This record gives sequence, structure tokens and C-alpha cells, in this order.
Amino acid sequence: MQWTRKDLSLYIKEKEYIDTLIIPLIPFNPASDSNVTKEAFQRELNQLFTHLLEKEYRGRIIVSPEYDYITGSNETEVHRINQWVERFQSQPLSHVFLFTFDPKWKKWEQALKGQLLWVPSMNERDLHSSETKSFVKEQVSQISELIKAYW
Amino acid sequence: MSDKQRVSRRQFLNYTLTGVGGFMAAGMLAPMVRFAIDPVLKPSAAGDFQSVASVDEITNEPQRFEWIVEQVDGWYESEVQKTAWVYRTEDDEIVALSPICTHLGCTVDWASQEEYPDQFYCPCHAGRYTKDGVNVPGTPPTAPLPLFDHKVEEGMLYLGQEQDR
Repeated sequence: MQWTRKDLSLYIKEKEYIDTLIIPLIPFNPASDSNVTKEAFQRELNQLFTHLLEKEYRGRIIVSPEYDYITGSNETEVHRINQWVERFQSQPLSHVFLFTFDPKWKKWEQALKGQLLWVPSMNERDLHSSETKSFVKEQVSQISELIKAYW
Repeated sequence: MSDKQRVSRRQFLNYTLTGVGGFMAAGMLAPMVRFAIDPVLKPSAAGDFQSVASVDEITNEPQRFEWIVEQVDGWYESEVQKTAWVYRTEDDEIVALSPICTHLGCTVDWASQEEYPDQFYCPCHAGRYTKDGVNVPGTPPTAPLPLFDHKVEEGMLYLGQEQDR
């Protein structure tokens, strides 16, 4: 389910069936000309992944509003992310996944209260080419296997 | 010459002005009328069929086929990917089922669960459907999978709207 009025009103009614949340973690640094396009690409890719996961498992997964932060501020963000996770867990949403392409989170994985799903990114390219599509689909199906292992 | 009816200058001007005025009025009214009746002239999207697969590809085992439709959803116009499980029954009838679980909308898979090799299985809450798309009692779904309208033309399978059952 997406973070929309329509989906959430269904969630409130069917709470017992929905126990999984994905929070997209998205770094960006508007002051850096050399990285903005790369980071924007990763954001698009992140949206694409969560969209595809949501589409396939929308009866059990909610995608939270995206969590944006300035690139490199991972250590200081840990506390705030944990606050998000705690609020969601009190719903209760028992499986909270943090979905990101930012490798710096790996270092702080122990401190995070959600399950970190770090996936290596790819080089900037056309997201609509059929080659990219089949690659993304393959990745998404593997990530969904991982999520299903927690269910 | 003299017995022919003469057109006076006044009459000539009257005819010309009425003629020109008529054209101008028609020029203004025609687009308005066209706008007013436009919704009637639009082809209805409901009847849109999309070619999905060649008929030879369809077997007795349900297969997943995907195609793209244009969809206008409030503010957004987008291309939406649609999916169907398609197979041929013993009586050579083509069946195209929507893969969207009628419980909470997950995507169901054919024979993905070893214990139920001839059923559709929903990975979210273990909902099950028999091959004809009817929900198995005792599992979460309360309605059968919707069927797609379909037709076959020149060896191609075309799918239209899904119909709830």
C-alpha cells in the first residue's frame, strides 16, 4: 500500500493482515554538482524498486513516506530513523525494512531498529530500457524472497 | 434581356450580407456544437482490447502474460502494466484470469506452493484459488479472481476489461 488516503483507510480496517513496512532512505546533497545527478538517479531507482514491491505485495506491505537526509550524515540520522521505526512498530507493523542504495548505512546497521536492506546501486542509465527493466525485475524478485523469509 | 427579373442594388447587397453573415455565424457555432457533443463522439475506453499473445503460445498450463495500457487516473496519465494468467481448458476454451488477489490486492502465482501444485497461491496471506479462479473456502479471499474479456483475431489473443464474478 502507498502512503495515500485511500490505501491507509483500507489499512486501518485491515490492520491484522498488514504487518510490513518499507522506509526508503534517500541521501541527497544539493550543494554538490558532481553528485546530484547520481543521487537523483538513485532516488528514482529507489522509487521504482519500492513501487514494484508494493505492486506485487500490496496486501501486506506499506511503503512509508521517503526518509531524506543530507549525504554523509548517517551517524546523526540514526536517532531520528529509530524514532520513525518505533512509531511504526507501535501500530503494530512488526517488520520494518529500511530500503537504501547508500552503502554507508552498513556501518550503522547494528544501531538501526529496522532491518537494513542495502542493495548495490547501478550506474546512471535509462530506467526505461528493456535491459534495465529485466535487471530491476530480477533484483526485485530476489528482494521479495528476502522479505518473505521474514514472514 | 428586359423580361428577366432585375436584381436591385439593395437586394444584391441583402443577399450577399446574409450569405457572408451566415458563414460567419456557422463558423462560430460549429466549434461550439462540436465541443458540446464531444463526449458522445469519444470512443469508449471500456471496449479497448489489447493484443497480448499469440494463440499458439497458450497451453493448458496457466502462463503469465504482460501488456501495457494507457491509463488516466485523476491527475496522472500513465502507462500501466497489466498482467493476466492465461490458459486453455480441456474444452479448448481460453481463460484469462486477473492475477490480483480479491483479498487485499497482492499478485497471485500459479503453483508456487509445493503443497498445492494445481492452484493459484497468494504469497501475502496464503489465499488460494482453483485453476478456474474460484477462491478456496477457508482461505482469506472471499471472491473469485476476475476474468478478462477476451477475443481471438488472426491468431492473436486480445484482452479487454476485467469482470468481477
